[in-house]
Amino acid sequence: MKQSALDIAFDQEKKFADYCRTGNFVRLKGTTPNRLPHYRKLVFNVIDDTLQTAYPLTFGLLTKSEWKELVNDFFGTHNCQSYQVWKMPYELYEYVLNNDLPIKEKYPQLLNLLLFEWMEIEVFMMEDIEAASLKTSGELITDELILNPEHFLLATEYPVHYKKANEITEADKGIYYILIFREPQTGKVIFIELSVLFAWLTEQIKTTGRSVYQLSKEASEVFNIPRQQILENSQSFLNELYNQQFILGFK
Amino acid sequence: MNQFAGIGFRKDFANEFLEKKLLQPSFIEVAPENWMGIGGYWKKIFKQVAEQYPVTLHGLSLSIGSADELDWNFLRQLKSFIKEYNVQVYSEHLSFSKCNNAHLYDLLPIPFRKEAVKHIVQKTKQVQDFLEMPLVLEVVSYYTAIAPEMQEHEFINAIVDESDCRLLLDVNNVYVNGFNHKYDAYEFINKLRLDKVAYIHMAGHEQVSEDLIIDTHGQPIIDPVYDLFDYTIQQLPHTAPVLLERDFNIPEMEEMLFELNKLENICQKHWKHETVSA
Ligand SMILES: [Fe+2]
Repeated sequence: MKQSALDIAFDQEKKFADYCRTGNFVRLKGTTPNRLPHYRKLVFNVIDDTLQTAYPLTFGLLTKSEWKELVNDFFGTHNCQSYQVWKMPYELYEYVLNNDLPIKEKYPQLLNLLLFEWMEIEVFMMEDIEAASLKTSGELITDELILNPEHFLLATEYPVHYKKANEITEADKGIYYILIFREPQTGKVIFIELSVLFAWLTEQIKTTGRSVYQLSKEASEVFNIPRQQILENSQSFLNELYNQQFILGFK
Repeated sequence: MNQFAGIGFRKDFANEFLEKKLLQPSFIEVAPENWMGIGGYWKKIFKQVAEQYPVTLHGLSLSIGSADELDWNFLRQLKSFIKEYNVQVYSEHLSFSKCNNAHLYDLLPIPFRKEAVKHIVQKTKQVQDFLEMPLVLEVVSYYTAIAPEMQEHEFINAIVDESDCRLLLDVNNVYVNGFNHKYDAYEFINKLRLDKVAYIHMAGHEQVSEDLIIDTHGQPIIDPVYDLFDYTIQQLPHTAPVLLERDFNIPEMEEMLFELNKLENICQKHWKHETVSA
């Protein structure tokens, strides 16, 4: 069947785009000799630079050839959906998450590391979320607390937040809770490691709107720690969160 | 404050804009994709800058030249961004950056073919209807044509004629293309629909081999491009905002100021008694 005219323009574009994504040789009509490789180079460099900037720790962890292969396979086979290039690196995380890759076996901390690095970008860049109306004075233990809504509570298996990525081993495997939030005035991203008790308390404060005093009874049962001890420990923890502006005020 | 010459707003010199005010651009240009749907530090900075300078948009992801359908989620977000900042000019590249449902994050040349014109005209009209403003399409630089069946200027003019879009005339791109494809840049300018030019870009480039210039936006503007610019604006039947683009290899402020002033002075020389119109 004869190709329709419409097919020629778009068929050529598709072949050209495929070449830019994979680097696999392609023959196109009416091109100037030796000029196509510039496009492959320019396109690939943008992707590679953007990903290196987003994931400096992951880039440092992988060998040069592992990194290159990862970026190449990702860009060649995955259809990037984000029209904002700063969001594209999240698609690399999803790509690693959803595919069987040998580097995931070699580096069990890889997924945690990617997500941790992405979270810093996401929290720094995400749209503003208005906090609930609040009072500035109150009691941290007994009042209902208003939290900074611009945050994520991340649970990881490996301590990617305090240990060098290449020094993490199987022996470090556990559960780590990392609170990541944006300082309201400066926009700076703050990381705080939470114990399992405080991760639980934070989650409960957020979802139930109950005070720490009210929650301490249940916490005591869940974690098998005397209620009085929980309340004493909470005081300094809550103070710190208040000073760092994760707790913004009181209802 | 300049009357005609604006500058691409970059995070690298955000403070210069807000505090030192060495630069006095008549407007700033940003890529909407980099500034919409964000919050925190950069949103605050952008709001402050946008309060002081008119904002023009120069998009990256529309991909007017590919078979892919328009992304209506993107266009909706864009429209509200345009409203929020009272944007008067939205320009894009006459190229494609998305193909087979995948973004490429770069600007690839469209085959100069009739069927491509037809498709681009249709998409351009859809964009203009939806945004309720003209789309300003940029003459892009390219290193090779792909399956051409018509001349570059015929391709551009056909799109302008049939879609009633406006032109973004990047004088450096015309110079680069003239060099890379061995044609006369002045003749090329003369063949364009200059009455449709709504916006002008000026930038530097880098010659990487005997017969190839790469459009890096990472070098100072060279004299032959200033000359072509001086010629071009004399051919225009009206004034237009002029943008200094610098994306890489950001120099000292003094150098940027020198280039911006030089552009403004050329405009003043020819357009002294006119007011800017887009
Ligand atoms: Fe340009």
